[in-house]
Amino acid sequence: MLAYAARRAGLGAFQVLAVAVLAFALVELLPGDAAVALAGDQPDPEAIARIRERMRLDEPALQRLGDWLGGLLTGDFGASLTTGRSVADILAGALEPTLILAGLTLALLLPLSVGLGVAAARRRGRWPDRLITTATVGLYSVPEFALAVLLVSAFAIGLQWLPPTAVGVPSLLAEPAVLVLPLLVLLARPICSIARLVRAGMIEALDSEYVAHARRAGVPERRVLLAHALPNALSPATAQIARTADWLLGGVIVVESVFVIPGLGTALVDAVNARDLPVVQGIAVVFGITTVLVNLLADLVAFRLAPRLELAR
Amino acid sequence: MTRNRAEFAAILALLAVPLGIALVGPLLPSTGAERTQPFDPAAPWPGTDHLGASVLDRLLDGGWGIVATAAAATALAFLAGFPIGLAAASTRRRWLDEILMRPFDLLLALPSLLLMLLLASIAPPTAWMLVLIVAFVNLPDIARIVRAAALEAAHHPVVDAMWLQGEGPWRIALTHTACSILPTVAADAGVRLVGAFYLVAAASFLGVGAGPESSDWAVMVDVNRGGIFLSPWAVVLPAALLVALSVGLNLLFDRLLSRREPA
Repeated sequence: MLAYAARRAGLGAFQVLAVAVLAFALVELLPGDAAVALAGDQPDPEAIARIRERMRLDEPALQRLGDWLGGLLTGDFGASLTTGRSVADILAGALEPTLILAGLTLALLLPLSVGLGVAAARRRGRWPDRLITTATVGLYSVPEFALAVLLVSAFAIGLQWLPPTAVGVPSLLAEPAVLVLPLLVLLARPICSIARLVRAGMIEALDSEYVAHARRAGVPERRVLLAHALPNALSPATAQIARTADWLLGGVIVVESVFVIPGLGTALVDAVNARDLPVVQGIAVVFGITTVLVNLLADLVAFRLAPRLELAR
Repeated sequence: MTRNRAEFAAILALLAVPLGIALVGPLLPSTGAERTQPFDPAAPWPGTDHLGASVLDRLLDGGWGIVATAAAATALAFLAGFPIGLAAASTRRRWLDEILMRPFDLLLALPSLLLMLLLASIAPPTAWMLVLIVAFVNLPDIARIVRAAALEAAHHPVVDAMWLQGEGPWRIALTHTACSILPTVAADAGVRLVGAFYLVAAASFLGVGAGPESSDWAVMVDVNRGGIFLSPWAVVLPAALLVALSVGLNLLFDRLLSRREPA
């Protein structure tokens, strides 16, 4: 276990470094003169000069790369091109709503998707299974924003049960009603994929020799399901959680935009549209590191659940 | 069997509406309605959009772009990813395999929507650029699946036999390996198309990639959100078409897959 964890953590550290270098490389990849490209459609010489000075584009790229990596270690992400605020400040201000959304989604995701998967597997082939399977296949990659506006028009405008956006809400936790629709949208895709995997894993486990043996030995059905079949059914699903981190971050970007929640996703989209590259880089590094860490954790848990499966490539 | 056939018909019906509008819509003559005020409550159903134009006209014209972009991006991604995966699996030199595949491991560490936003932040906003970006984002997954499928075929005894008969490595890769993995790759293409469709729609909605003058269904949802209380159909109809297309494609490809390999 330790050797595997060390090797896997080494790969993770390398991926984090690569993400940081990739974010830095964005500036170098800009076509032509970076300062001119960033100054927008009507560049005036003053703005170009300001950008060049702020991003220190006159210095050699290698030296800037070193400073950028060193800055990341000390929490210095540079400053926004449009407002001049430090990127670390912008990130800190936008972190809370995103953390609340992602944390609540993850907390609800596991019990709901495992429950659905187990429920479908136990009633294999009958109508609850067919219903769950069709729903999870169909909703697998529905664009979140389309689902979101449909839910908003049904529940916020048609029925008027829930608020349509989070505009004017001081903190998400203060008004839980605001969170219902965003969480539903965020849960839709990952629930589908994990529930399908849990169902497939459970069906395989329930057909196995050891479950048959446990039943013959008189182990109560509840115990057979939860203590014998479920752990084995979960390990392929754990690997899928790595993908879920990907979808969750993507979903957060869209959901924050639809429900007007001032989190990291909104900050990223605004920065991309304003070509505010330092902010884009900072958020890319934060999202990239989060994904790498979640992947790492999922691989370690999957390895712990089923050590014979070597998941590192 | 009859129940399966009924389900299949239901899926096709679900797909027929959005696909029909997307493919045939641009050919239909416009309704010729005059521009009135934005979100006009007096306009005939389904009302007007944020510029006062008829929502119906916009709906008919707005599907083609998304479907074509997603299809073009998927095709381009396979065109690039298939040879890379095939070469990585067929080569007997380990370093070549590593050079071809290692960069993709790093790209996979980034969420796909984030990668797309990053590329869009430095690329000029044109429709072709969106095709390129979505293809690039899908490339790592495709190359890996092709490589995984080809590995088995490329180390089959048949390959050794061909090798001993003096066949060149290119000929083996193209005549034997490529042909034997085609069914797997074709099955995967459906999943990739749905994924590309998701990315294109999300990009349009977030206002990146496509130019400001474009008006597909995702852009309609975005720009008409402000008037959702006055004219809900301008948002609900394009969103419903996008959901129907996505759900329909998912169910269809899943059905085709499970028919190929019965559980």
